[in-house]
Amino acid sequence: MELLRVEHLKKSFGAELVLSDISLAVNKSEVISIIGPSGSGKSTLLRCITLLEKADGGAVSIDGDYLFHEQAGRVVYAKKSELRRLRLRTGLVFQNFNLFPHFSVLRNLTEAQIHVLGVSPDAARETAMELLSKMGLTDKANAYPYSLSGGQCQRVAIARALALRPEILFFDEPTSALDPELTFEVLRVIRQLAEEHMTMVIVTHEMAFARDVSDRVIFMDEGVIIEQGKPEDVLINSKNERVRAFLGNFKS
Amino acid sequence: MFETLPELFNNISVFTAKWWGMLAGPFGSGIATSLKVFGLTLLFALPLGLIVALGEMAKFRLISAPVKFFVMVMRGTPLMLQLLFVYFAPFYIFGIRGAYSRFVAVIIAFTLNYAAYFAEIYRGGIQSMPRGQYEAGAVLGFTQVQVFLKIILPQVIKRVLPPFSNEVITLVKDTALVQILGVSDPLRAAQNAASFTFSVVPFMFSAVVYFILCFIIERLFNLGEKRLSYYR
Ligand SMILES: Nc1ncnc2c1ncn2[C@@H]1O[C@H](COP(=O)(O)OP(=O)(O)OP(=O)(O)O)[C@@H](O)[C@H]1O
Ligand SMILES: [Mg+2]
Repeated sequence: MELLRVEHLKKSFGAELVLSDISLAVNKSEVISIIGPSGSGKSTLLRCITLLEKADGGAVSIDGDYLFHEQAGRVVYAKKSELRRLRLRTGLVFQNFNLFPHFSVLRNLTEAQIHVLGVSPDAARETAMELLSKMGLTDKANAYPYSLSGGQCQRVAIARALALRPEILFFDEPTSALDPELTFEVLRVIRQLAEEHMTMVIVTHEMAFARDVSDRVIFMDEGVIIEQGKPEDVLINSKNERVRAFLGNFKS
Repeated sequence: MFETLPELFNNISVFTAKWWGMLAGPFGSGIATSLKVFGLTLLFALPLGLIVALGEMAKFRLISAPVKFFVMVMRGTPLMLQLLFVYFAPFYIFGIRGAYSRFVAVIIAFTLNYAAYFAEIYRGGIQSMPRGQYEAGAVLGFTQVQVFLKIILPQVIKRVLPPFSNEVITLVKDTALVQILGVSDPLRAAQNAASFTFSVVPFMFSAVVYFILCFIIERLFNLGEKRLSYYR
């Protein structure tokens, strides 16, 4: 079942065309990895879908409801209330976590549940503790983000996103800010989510991880999707020059 | 001239015993006025400063340009001149007599002046917040107002506490300017006392008053900074 659909998405920063024509569909329970060289527009794609950037063309819909679509050459966004509702069906995990430093770990997880979803504080706390135990962070509930390692921060950030029960979770290089020995614990959590059939779109430079965990790999360059398919077809047996050249840089 | 420290203290105590009855009144009311000006200025200028800061950062130039101009004028002209202007403007410009008392004029001028300085501090604090904090809040579905009140403002307050303590201590000393409108204050009381007692001891009194106030304020700010040090 199709959950997210991106049609002919375009985005420029000034004169620079960053996304020239991106179309893609994400099915429920699918795990997609997006790879590609720096500056190819991977982050911009996620940011347009999660409404952190305004698109210049095309359309994005979740389960048939349009966040925005093109009408007479102009992008028209849904009503504010509608956007708020639709946005909550997605979640985004940032490269540098962006935890709220003035809140305890627990409150990082409960604040939006209570004040955005209207969940009762007790229920929010219960959800938060469940997620923390899943992340192996039960003992950190009352800690503040500054006292956590990068890997722990990222697991809190993932739990914070999950606390709102999104149907699709986006990751923008979730391990790129981490020391190599800490990436493992974050990737393990994401892998576990994949096993639970969480729908995820992951921008990553971890090729081995992308191969293991994803149902589909998308290779982007210069604002277009160059190739997509099964992990082994893209990551191992690609016929495309650019893909092979890019992957060549990762072989050591 | 006082030769030794003990001699100085002795002189002060003799002086105090002799003149206390006469000085306590003016000093007392001077201190009371200073405290009132101080307290009311903070009460009004702290929130107004935040509003001014938001005005300065507004996207619409129609809002931001005049607000920036206001801040420039308030910071670019002497507070003493502003005091006189606020007090005399209603009469000289509009021909209205007794629009408000001297004390009210003092509070208006101080509030406007300090709101401008506070605004610059708030603005620095708000602009130092990383964009990721806004984005994380937005992605979690918080409204813009919620993001500002729950996520940005609390962190800004922690960041602006040190520059605020400077400004608030300056405010204590600036309260001495109210005498330009003939409102009583400890410094004026000291001047009067000095001229009829032929002594500098009254000046020392008022110095001690200001010093103690500043000392208490610094302590309070230190306490505040400590209380907010639970996160980084
Ligand atoms: N806010 C912005 N203003 C102007 N240009 C931007 C902005 N954000 C991104 N860009 C430009 O858009 C292009 C694509 O950036 P984007 O961050 O989407 O690439 P990316 O594929 O995520 O790269 P990386 O792997 O380095 O994260 C880059 O050339 C970048 O300089
Ligand atoms: Mg990126």
